[in-house]
Amino acid sequence: MLEIKNLTKTYKGGKTAVDNLSLTVQAGDIYGFIGQNGAGKTTAIKAVVGIHDYDQGEILVDGKNVHTQPLACKKIMAYIPDNPDIYEYLTGIQYLNFIADIYQVSRSDREARIRQEAGAFGIYSALGDLVSTYSHGMRQKLAIIGALLHEPKLLILDEPFVGLDPEAALILKERMRALCEKGSAIFFSTHVLEVAEKLCNRIAVISRGKLIVEGDTKELTGDKSLEDVFMEVIHHDETD
Amino acid sequence: MMRQIRLLTIVSLQGMFGLNEIRHTKDRGKKVRYCLMGFLWLMLIVLLAGYVGVMSMGLVMTGMGRLVPAVLAMSVSLVVLFFTILKAGPVLFDWKAYEKQIVMPVNVRAIIVSRFLTMYITNMLLGLLVLLPGMTVYGVMERPGILFYLYGIAAGIFLPLLPLTAASVLGASIAGISSRWRYKNLVSIVLTMVLVCAIMAGSMGMSGMEESELNAMVQQMAELMEGQIYRAYPPAVWITDAMILGEPVKLLLFLAVSIGIFILFLEILSRFYVNICMLLSARETKGDYRMKELREKSVLGTMVERELRHYFSSSIYVVNTMMGELLMVLLAGAVLFMDMETVEAMLGLPGVVGKALPILMGFLPVMMPLTACSISMEGKQWWMLQTMPVTRKDMIRSKVAAQLLVALPFYLVSEILLFLALRPGWAEGVSLLAVPAVYIIFGARAGLAVNELMPLLDWESEVRVVKQSASTMVTMLVGMATAIVPIVVLVAVPGISVYGVYLVTVVLLSAATFAMNLGNGKRMHYV
Repeated sequence: MLEIKNLTKTYKGGKTAVDNLSLTVQAGDIYGFIGQNGAGKTTAIKAVVGIHDYDQGEILVDGKNVHTQPLACKKIMAYIPDNPDIYEYLTGIQYLNFIADIYQVSRSDREARIRQEAGAFGIYSALGDLVSTYSHGMRQKLAIIGALLHEPKLLILDEPFVGLDPEAALILKERMRALCEKGSAIFFSTHVLEVAEKLCNRIAVISRGKLIVEGDTKELTGDKSLEDVFMEVIHHDETD
Repeated sequence: MMRQIRLLTIVSLQGMFGLNEIRHTKDRGKKVRYCLMGFLWLMLIVLLAGYVGVMSMGLVMTGMGRLVPAVLAMSVSLVVLFFTILKAGPVLFDWKAYEKQIVMPVNVRAIIVSRFLTMYITNMLLGLLVLLPGMTVYGVMERPGILFYLYGIAAGIFLPLLPLTAASVLGASIAGISSRWRYKNLVSIVLTMVLVCAIMAGSMGMSGMEESELNAMVQQMAELMEGQIYRAYPPAVWITDAMILGEPVKLLLFLAVSIGIFILFLEILSRFYVNICMLLSARETKGDYRMKELREKSVLGTMVERELRHYFSSSIYVVNTMMGELLMVLLAGAVLFMDMETVEAMLGLPGVVGKALPILMGFLPVMMPLTACSISMEGKQWWMLQTMPVTRKDMIRSKVAAQLLVALPFYLVSEILLFLALRPGWAEGVSLLAVPAVYIIFGARAGLAVNELMPLLDWESEVRVVKQSASTMVTMLVGMATAIVPIVVLVAVPGISVYGVYLVTVVLLSAATFAMNLGNGKRMHYV
């Protein structure tokens, strides 16, 4: 569903944030992307979703190149950033209706999904209020509902669990699993290693822009915890 | 408290005009853009200095040299008042910045003074920029004593204090009144627009009086002008008396009144400041949503609707970018209710308005289209447009359509007023309809093109985008250039066909608009 081939992104000023990164996310995967602060996770994600351009490499979503066919890729993708700055001047329902219009979700589908997801995440009664009145967590829930509206084939999330209350985090995990069961793929970055270990069937560790470990979660961890593996590979990389 | 004021002011000034970014950015392209902006500013300063110098020379040569300080002081005060009214409220009552500052151990007075100082410093530079060339011309031609310069510099430094305080009082009043309403932004927009119209009508009336008296005897006129300025703004005459007649009491009077009124304003405002900020930041929540039938819209329709909602959610965005459209209606109204000579005298454009009316009508909304900062206004939410399945063409169409929808009612009202006033023949009628329409479409697209070249997405305050960004300034210059060139041709080339000039202007602007649309397929990467 997502193929990143030899991706390199250098910022103006000379810092190489992502260096020759290659990985593949298959349909049905919940793929955890982990690394320290400044490792290049967000830069790689932003290149995939079309926020950043990149210098070298290729990114394919469902076989389509994000550079040459951005619209086709975006139609089947959804992205939730780490800090959901969403349109504050719209009410929650206006925002969701706007997203549904952009992704051309039918009226009956959008109504049913909004009712279901807003109810599950506990923000249904607040949908008539301006987003500017929402707390950080409510905005994040709204962004998640917006991302789920068109049932994306590829859901990309950057630190999705930061700021969510425990119940909302649980619901999000359920939704992620349900999407994958339907054949979608999920690619997300996180610092919460326990969540990654329990939720993801595949893990990639990135350090200083380079992929240092990638593979099946169970095979990677073996009898160790993901935390132990992570600390091991990061320190090994730093001493190299 | 002085330390707090100093620190808060420095932080605030660092954010202005991207000064801190220029110092620390590693992006060469950005540095080059800032250098070009600096060069443009320098050009404008040279032009302004030249204009003030020539005007001062004219006054001295016609025996009215003693009016130089009064005219300059009056002009600076009016300019400061006019431009600060549009931003005083948003700067003083920026509640998002207030929430960050109030949690620190700083005094409310320090917050108010630091915000006032941020505006004051830029206005003081403007004051000195106008006063110094005028003083230099007067000094070279009339050779006054050293006191002229000393008092002039002192006056220049304190000159913006009174108009800035007046603008802040008005801005605070508007913020105070609008904070109590449910639709705060709408009330603020309407009140600011009404106020600006009143100030413009007043200043235009005064300039009309000056022009109409140009035929009087020079000495008599000087006395008349002095009397007029004194009636309108006594401090300008106090400055004149101090500088020309060397009366220190008048300078002290000016300083005492300026500082006294500011302190009084500070005292009163500091009592209500926290309440106003809290009321402005308060948002009504109902929490009782029940789903009604949701309407489906096309991608373009939903994007245009979002643009308009965004536009009308920001009072500073609306009052600054709708000013051109408002002026268009005022000009058309003036043409209907006054004769052309009076309108020309009011605008200080004798013999121009009658000849170039369609161009002037088109030029006003082109000065500051909402598209000039509509990409920048996306700010931290820009990622949404980048990641949605929409093309750059969709984005351009929606933003241009929003500008055209905003301009349309003003355009229609102006055209009706003009047709009632002039009862034009077919050629004049077509010109009156087509030229402003082409200008408005060109302005909408050109503003967006400039904003695409010079986006500013990483901002804290909307004032930085709307009032201080490179994009708005360059758009204004482009707009001015498109009007000045044909107007100069019309005025300077005797016997030239007026309709020929209109036709060439329309063809060139249409071609430029078409050319800007050629690259609509590109991707949206500005960061």
